Amino acid sequence: MSRSKNLAVKYLVAAILFFGVMTLSGLMSAAYYIQPDFLFGLIPFSIAKMLHIDTMIIWLLMGFMGAVYWFLPDEFEIEPAGIWAAEILFWVFVSAVLVVAATFVLVQWGAGTETTLWLVQQGRKYVEAPRWAAIGVALVMLVFAWNVVGTALRARRITGIMAVMSVNMVPLVLLYLIAFPKIDNMAVDLYWWWWLVHLWVEATWEILIGCIMALAVMKLLGTSRKIVEGWLYVEVSMVLGTGILGLGHHYFWIGTPDYWLGIGGFFSALEPLPLLGMVVHAVYDAGVHRMKTTNRPAFYWTLAEAFGNFLGGGVFGFMITLPQLNLFAHGTQWTVSHGHFAFWGAYACGVLSVCYIALQEQRRLAVVNGRGWVWAFVLLNGGLIGMVGSLLVAGMAQTFFERAIGGSTLEAFIAGQENPWFVLGMYSRMFFGLIFTAGYLTLAWNLLALGHREAAAVAQPAPAE
Amino acid sequence: MTPGVLLVTSVSLGFMVLAAGAYALLYGIGRFRNSRGLLVSAGFAYGALVLDAAGLILAAPLALEWKLLIAGSALAYLGIPPLTWRYLQHTHREEGAHP
Amino acid sequence: MPKGFIGKVRLGARLMQYDDPKFWRAGAISTTVVMAIALGMLTVDSLEAITPGGSHVPPYSVINRHIGYVYNGRLGRDMPVIGADEPLFGKPVTETEAAAFMERGKLVIQSRSCINCHTFMGNGAYYAPDLTKAWLDPAWDTWMAITGADTKEEAMVRFLMAPEQYATWLRKMPNLGISRDEAVATVAYLKWLSSIDTNGFPIHFGRPQTSR
Repeated sequence: MSRSKNLAVKYLVAAILFFGVMTLSGLMSAAYYIQPDFLFGLIPFSIAKMLHIDTMIIWLLMGFMGAVYWFLPDEFEIEPAGIWAAEILFWVFVSAVLVVAATFVLVQWGAGTETTLWLVQQGRKYVEAPRWAAIGVALVMLVFAWNVVGTALRARRITGIMAVMSVNMVPLVLLYLIAFPKIDNMAVDLYWWWWLVHLWVEATWEILIGCIMALAVMKLLGTSRKIVEGWLYVEVSMVLGTGILGLGHHYFWIGTPDYWLGIGGFFSALEPLPLLGMVVHAVYDAGVHRMKTTNRPAFYWTLAEAFGNFLGGGVFGFMITLPQLNLFAHGTQWTVSHGHFAFWGAYACGVLSVCYIALQEQRRLAVVNGRGWVWAFVLLNGGLIGMVGSLLVAGMAQTFFERAIGGSTLEAFIAGQENPWFVLGMYSRMFFGLIFTAGYLTLAWNLLALGHREAAAVAQPAPAE
Repeated sequence: MTPGVLLVTSVSLGFMVLAAGAYALLYGIGRFRNSRGLLVSAGFAYGALVLDAAGLILAAPLALEWKLLIAGSALAYLGIPPLTWRYLQHTHREEGAHP
Repeated sequence: MPKGFIGKVRLGARLMQYDDPKFWRAGAISTTVVMAIALGMLTVDSLEAITPGGSHVPPYSVINRHIGYVYNGRLGRDMPVIGADEPLFGKPVTETEAAAFMERGKLVIQSRSCINCHTFMGNGAYYAPDLTKAWLDPAWDTWMAITGADTKEEAMVRFLMAPEQYATWLRKMPNLGISRDEAVATVAYLKWLSSIDTNGFPIHFGRPQTSR
């Protein structure tokens, strides 16, 4: 198998493992809301939460990279450029993440000096990793970009999908530089930080997953390249057309001028439109090709991607995006419910689809079936929906009691957190979180075991009946 | 905006997009199976969207420009499924791809 | 009309079809460029407004003054109000000294990862309260009493240095090894933070509403 594909499998395995760390640290964070003394004194809430959100970014990023390394040799029909460097950096990347995670857990914080930012943590959400590790991540991403662009140069040709992906690499990598500076002024800090976060997850990541899903759909359903490319361009136009100025929906309350209320609210309200188009596309594909896929789990995860993206990003986002409403709901568990649903739908489902695609080829399975993947699918999606529903209830209670009625002070905050609906939401979230965890374990087992039983059966054919 | 109105408005906005999704889903499956029943259901889903949008436009404490945005969105949601469907059908036919 | 055309648009001498990917590629490129330019222009304007001394963000020396938060009928929202002299710990500071406090305070906030329990202008984590208007929170009266401090800023400093000793709720803040100098800088930072015009967030601060 191609070196790039071997590397892809390593990245996908690492992604699934860090997905596990994300799940575990999520359970820990959720536990604090129910039992405030949970691991207090050992691992405070902030550390559990930091692990949770950072491993989310890491596992998805590794999933994307695995997907790209997997499809690269097929797209260019040559061994991709610079894979030797990428292979080394894979181990650098994984080791760095492990060292950083250990630092978070064992060292936790440092004195208020630049040294702490270099060695311990930088304390900016999602990009807490100390600067030494951030340099490593930047290097990994640079080589990743080189693997894509360099292969196009070596092959002296490029497909539409790879052209989009290559161009997208530029902002993807450049935006990460925002993880480095220490900016005293919180308003300016948040202004640039949102370029990184929003223009990653609501722009460049959408383009990247769009490219990956285009490649996946070509493989799963045999859809023609021209159709998939045309669709990709439509998607890029609509996602960037709404998302670039949709960035303004993060600029309502950070000290920026109030024209952002109008601009951000308007473009953000349009963001569900391309997502609806993706739903239609998914239904079409399901109908046209349904009988002709040999990889049902991959296909179902692709459907989950389209619907999850729409529900989590579109529906849940639209509830709180208008500034008149966001003023009340901003920075509550309502945000959390939207965030979990959107990340799951838009990115996690897509990565899992690619895992099954790669698995089919790697284990040479004519057909991918069985019951394991169904259980994983149901438990994960059911658990996730239960969690976001619980968080929605908690978030609405918080918005109602802390913000709308309470006056947003500490006393109001406490009243909101102790409100029975909020507390119910926290217990319910934990319950569904456990279901989600069961789904994760089932998924991991399924990915590990799938195909081996069939392979064994081939080796020892069943006796004729 | 009272606290109660705040929650009702937010839920109504979310419901509008949800109804659009239901309309798109039912429209797609209905077109596929050539099922009048499903297409009528799609119509009902869009009808729910219209009622919801009308409620927002008539009663929500939002300024005029936001109500216009809601009205515009409602129209856009109407058009997206059939236009997307036509585009997909046409490109697949062009390619002589799977029937 | 030739077979296969569902629509035609004449662009100069070339005909573009809706089913031609190149049409949509042109759309993707032009949309992105236009939006990016718009974002660039708005960024230049916004950065000016949020630089200390700009329209929305007071200079750091505002920590020498009283800071209030009052409903502005004309704008229809709450606005920070900068008042009479009220230096921290009774000691006025120069612009340079204030900037040094901000630098140190921000380092404390980052090195202790405050944003992973608290929110700043609603951004962060939701386990602990939002700190945007923490300087103005009525709860500090309680902490003045339990820390034995006779000013709000002294109470805040004592709390930050040993939060586990002054817990008032089941959810506790851990001891983060914050020194007195660090705590003073952080308090100064929070005071400045409360003076930023955040377009009215958080809503109704300090004014509970009675009707639902």
